[in-house]
Amino acid sequence: MSASRSRWLWHALSFAIVALLGSGLYIASKRIDYTWRWDRIPQYLLSQEGEEVHAPFDGFVALSEDGHSLTMTALKGADTTTLDGLASVAVANGDLVFQGDTLGKLPGQLRAGTLITGLILTLEISALSLVFAMLLGLVAGLGRVAKNPTAQDLSALYVEVIRGTPLLVQIFIMYFFIGTVLKLSAFWAGVIALSIFTGAYIAEIVRAGIQAVPKGQTEAAQSLGLSAAQTMRHVILPQATRRILPPLAGQSINLIKDSSLVSVMALTDLTKAGREVVSSTFMPFEVWFTVAVMYLVLTGALSFVVRKLELRFMARD
Amino acid sequence: MNAPLIKVTDIEKRYPNGTLGLKRASLSVSSGEVVVIVGPSGSGKSTLLRTFNGLEAITGGEIVVDGHVLHQRSADLRSLRQRVGMVFQQFNLFPHLTALQNLSLAPMKVLGLNAAEAAERARALLAKVGLADKADVYPAQLSGGQMQRVAIARALAMQPAVMLFDEPTSALDPEMVGEVLEVMKQLASEGMTMCVVTHEMGFARAVADRVIFMDRGESLCEDEPEAFFSAPKTERLRLFLGQVLK
Repeated sequence: MSASRSRWLWHALSFAIVALLGSGLYIASKRIDYTWRWDRIPQYLLSQEGEEVHAPFDGFVALSEDGHSLTMTALKGADTTTLDGLASVAVANGDLVFQGDTLGKLPGQLRAGTLITGLILTLEISALSLVFAMLLGLVAGLGRVAKNPTAQDLSALYVEVIRGTPLLVQIFIMYFFIGTVLKLSAFWAGVIALSIFTGAYIAEIVRAGIQAVPKGQTEAAQSLGLSAAQTMRHVILPQATRRILPPLAGQSINLIKDSSLVSVMALTDLTKAGREVVSSTFMPFEVWFTVAVMYLVLTGALSFVVRKLELRFMARD
Repeated sequence: MNAPLIKVTDIEKRYPNGTLGLKRASLSVSSGEVVVIVGPSGSGKSTLLRTFNGLEAITGGEIVVDGHVLHQRSADLRSLRQRVGMVFQQFNLFPHLTALQNLSLAPMKVLGLNAAEAAERARALLAKVGLADKADVYPAQLSGGQMQRVAIARALAMQPAVMLFDEPTSALDPEMVGEVLEVMKQLASEGMTMCVVTHEMGFARAVADRVIFMDRGESLCEDEPEAFFSAPKTERLRLFLGQVLK
């Protein structure tokens, strides 16, 4: 009873520390000259923008208070025109525009905004890479524990080279060199680079999982006349899987985060989408916080699944 | 008497670091015979047993098991191992499979039995070792003695010509030793050829046709159990028996 009460006190302290840090950040942000415009973020998540509206003649623009309608006054003559119900405006109050300039966009179908589109690409790349990385990691991991020296050499070389070089450098090599030679699109160059990188780490996870199965299991299986392949498939791997799954899930969280590096190849993943929105809006603070939270939602959901898995596997021991 | 099922001649095992695990060990086991190997810890008796189905490679000498000649580098261990059942000190049951699946895995994958045939054979063997009701139980839910009986049944499921027992009762709590020895006695009485490494002198005296004494990697002497225990042939055996039988 008292023990659980004191636990709550400690949790309250944690909360207080986080709140203190948060308010410090808030106060610091107040002291710099920055106008927070959180209200402009949602349109980059879900947007309703439709067709562009162009200026019918040369003239000055006057915006309404809410920013959804504007009035144009002609430079020559007394023409005026008013546009209502705009989804977004591309001009500022008092701007001089010429005929054909883009004034803004009309509302259209509700669709994914830039950030959500980027998030979907990040998910696609991560999911595809994870599948290939698991295949590659299983093969290389088996190679590490194989009797054949060539299999050992090749898989050790693969793991050492990939783990010893930065992912960013690997992506550049994959995109500029191999991508050019094999005419790969940026998307597939990214998927392949991430698969090869993550595969090396999964190979080590697989190797550790296999080696953690007691030697007596192999001896028993082979004493019964099972071949090496049958022993691996029916006796060793089923037991190794239980040890492999939790770190494998952890590695797939890393994969999602690592996928942000493909943004250097003009691939509009979540990170690149963030950069695009920043450069068109000049709202780096809001955008990067939003992007971080979106990554956190992805990885948080995965690590929740991982914890459930770990509990289930622990319960079976 | 029949031709020996296992014939081991002057085998030697030298480890990569140069130490000798076995030197000049020889023995033969005829069909239907029960041979017990005893000796002090580290004398190489388990190593010797494990050479019979190629779990330990040898660096000299010759082993002939059921017509298969094991050289220093044997190619066809698989067909040999199907004829030789092995029971381990640590049971080595497959923890992710039920007792029934432990028994039926090898008959299905190696002998090509279908699931129904393998299950039928497995149930009969489980009943034979007194565990008919444990078919669908995982090893973790069994006691040590029950696990070792399942392990014996698993080896029998391959219908081997000879059974090797590597200290089958050493990892058991004392109250479970009896049930395992009982199963082994029953096997012996059915005429199974057996080669047993054990510290159970009572079992050796009661069941063995011959007892072999090993020390420091050598098979020193062998005799019928009565003479082995009452009139030891060598000084080292006398010392050993003095220590274990007091």
